Amino acid sequence: METILKCENLCKTFGKKQILKNVSLQIEEGDILGFIGPNGAGKTTTIKLILGLQGITSGKVTINGYDIEKEFTKAIEKVGAIVENPDMYMYLTGYENLKLVANMYKGITQSKIDEVVKLVKLENRINDKVSKYSLGMRQRLGIAQAILHSPKLLILDEPTNGLDPEGIKEMRELLIELAQKQKMAILISSHNLAELDNFCNKVCIIKNGEVIETSEIEKIKKTNNINYEIIQIENTENIKEIIKEAIILDEKHFKIKIEKDEVPELVVKLVKNNIRVFGIKEEEKTLEDAFFEKTGGNVIE
Amino acid sequence: MSSLIKNELIKIFKKKSIYITLIIVLAFMIFMNIMYKNTTTYYSYGGYSESDIELMEAELQSLDPNNPADMSTYIEIQTQIESARLQMKYQDENWKLSVIGTQILPYINEKNTLKYGIEKNEEEVKRIENTINGLLERLDQDDWRYFANIELQEATQNLESLEKQKETTVDKQELKNLENSIESAKIDKEVKEYRINEDIKYGNDYLNQALSEYGFQAKQVLEYKNSEKELKYSEKQQYQNALEAKEISRYIIENKIDVYKTDSLKYVLENFFNNFGIFILVIVVMIAGTIVSEEFNKGTIKLLLVKPYSRNKILLSKLLTTFIMIAFVIAVVLIMEIIVGGITFGFDSISEPTVVYNFNTQSIQEINIFAYVGIEILTQLPMIILLGTLAFAISTIFTNSALAITISLLGYMSTMFINQLAIIYDIKILKYFVTMNWDLTPYLFGGLGNMEGMSMPMSIIICIVYFILIAIPTFWVMKKRNIKNI
Repeated sequence: METILKCENLCKTFGKKQILKNVSLQIEEGDILGFIGPNGAGKTTTIKLILGLQGITSGKVTINGYDIEKEFTKAIEKVGAIVENPDMYMYLTGYENLKLVANMYKGITQSKIDEVVKLVKLENRINDKVSKYSLGMRQRLGIAQAILHSPKLLILDEPTNGLDPEGIKEMRELLIELAQKQKMAILISSHNLAELDNFCNKVCIIKNGEVIETSEIEKIKKTNNINYEIIQIENTENIKEIIKEAIILDEKHFKIKIEKDEVPELVVKLVKNNIRVFGIKEEEKTLEDAFFEKTGGNVIE
Repeated sequence: MSSLIKNELIKIFKKKSIYITLIIVLAFMIFMNIMYKNTTTYYSYGGYSESDIELMEAELQSLDPNNPADMSTYIEIQTQIESARLQMKYQDENWKLSVIGTQILPYINEKNTLKYGIEKNEEEVKRIENTINGLLERLDQDDWRYFANIELQEATQNLESLEKQKETTVDKQELKNLENSIESAKIDKEVKEYRINEDIKYGNDYLNQALSEYGFQAKQVLEYKNSEKELKYSEKQQYQNALEAKEISRYIIENKIDVYKTDSLKYVLENFFNNFGIFILVIVVMIAGTIVSEEFNKGTIKLLLVKPYSRNKILLSKLLTTFIMIAFVIAVVLIMEIIVGGITFGFDSISEPTVVYNFNTQSIQEINIFAYVGIEILTQLPMIILLGTLAFAISTIFTNSALAITISLLGYMSTMFINQLAIIYDIKILKYFVTMNWDLTPYLFGGLGNMEGMSMPMSIIICIVYFILIAIPTFWVMKKRNIKNI
């Protein structure tokens, strides 16, 4: 697979304050990378360095093989982005905003604009002034202007802000489609982990300007993973007497650290002690759990 | 690049502000044109009324002509009453009023002096009364040429007597003075001849004004020409002004065209920049001062900067857009003025040429009004471009529209102050300062610059240098800027 974006040891200092320390990340085509971190961790700064909006103190960004500082126009040509907020020209209509973007690239036809408008489901309001849009609609328009020229790299900074659950679901489907059908590499930053769960295939966790984890999403959930099984029974009151290692969760559930092939013996043991088992399932960690485990909560330094 | 400029133009024309300001300019323009139309000078009789005369007569009653103390006052008031009566009689005919004032009044005065003064002479009084009656008869016959001829005769006599005096004078200084007086007398004679030859009836119209202006300015020119000391620079400028005024007056008299007629489309167009330059400037500065900073303040700059264009190109496209808008604003305001002025005054005067005096060829030049307005715009262009660029630079460097607009307009307003300071105190170094150079109007048609040693090419070079000095840091700052969080 082709590597679209590569950041190597990015550092950024403002005066004496070091904002980013050796941030490295990489996205291949078709990847959706969740760029996760608490507020103030350096997500937006990293994105600005990638897009050439701020000077890089040390390190290197290559997009499509072009260095962003040395060959800016070539590197940025196949990039679409929303940075911070979906800032649009409020006194123009949505369509006029898209037309402005289309003018800046070669070969974007009228039908391409219409197609993208349909894709982000703005066709009913596209001729209204952006000043009348809700934040969610502006996010959609922001995505539309970012994908108008069919970029290879799509960078979305907190794109779920202002979207309702229905909107989030739609955006998730849209991004998956872009990644799978158009082979776009997508970098999506967020502090809202629940939204990124089940939809990124990679994550990069950043805290205080440092990347503390980059990995496939399944791996993240399982790292330093001692697997627990959750067992549902009638009453957990006296379970400790039978199974010492049990951790009681509530009246009807307890969990236990156990290898998969030991599960049948556990069931037999329970049955022998006249305990009725209603169900057994593997404990699944959410991205959020993994995140808190890694970052130790949301602390801005 | 052209697509960037196109986008910038779309953004400007989709905003309401430009239309609002243009409408305000239009409203002001209509107001101004109506004002010009209504300030047409009416020469109505503003002299004496019946009650004035009654008052004077009452005062006369209280005086005793035989009392030596009252005598001169008595004569004065008597003369006043008589001339007032004449003026009231002819109050509707301008030329007669002026003739009464200049040519009949002295006779009345003389008559009254002989009638009531110390040396009374009945015969002389009779003779003068006859003369006055003769003159009044000519007045009734509308024979203004008669009076013109008398004036000419007097001027000729004056000249002849001066020339005779010159023959017998030996003293060098006196001779010099006499020669000056003779030249001055020649001008007087020329003016009187002019009236007769050019058929200019007495009165208060533009031809009479041009005639007296001609006489006055010709004497000024003479004075500067004959000056023994070398002329100071400011005197040279005044000499030019006098020469120009004299020659244009001559043009008016000989062609019978009122070039200073205020209630005409031609006049308002000739003064286009005096009247509307400030509006053009305000709109230009408004555009230049917001075109960059607004994108920063609204965050939309990020949209632009992640497109495949270098920052230099993006900034350059905005600067070029500002220049295009300068041309557009000038064109729109000019067209509005042509339409508003045309409706107010009629379009006839457009075919009349604008008259200027060319100091290089030392002759009057007739210029098509549109060509003249074009030249006028070109001479003001350096100022507009530089102030626009200044607003653009401040708006880019400080991303603050208010600051950009305020500083640029203050720069414009301080121009007059700085230039006056430089000229009055003769601060030589200021001739390299931009405000002294960005208005090229003084150089037009061979005119002299604001200060000694200034020339049009030098001014243009200075303006270019200032432009580069403003532009370089602007582009540098833009290139190095970190786009901060908004």
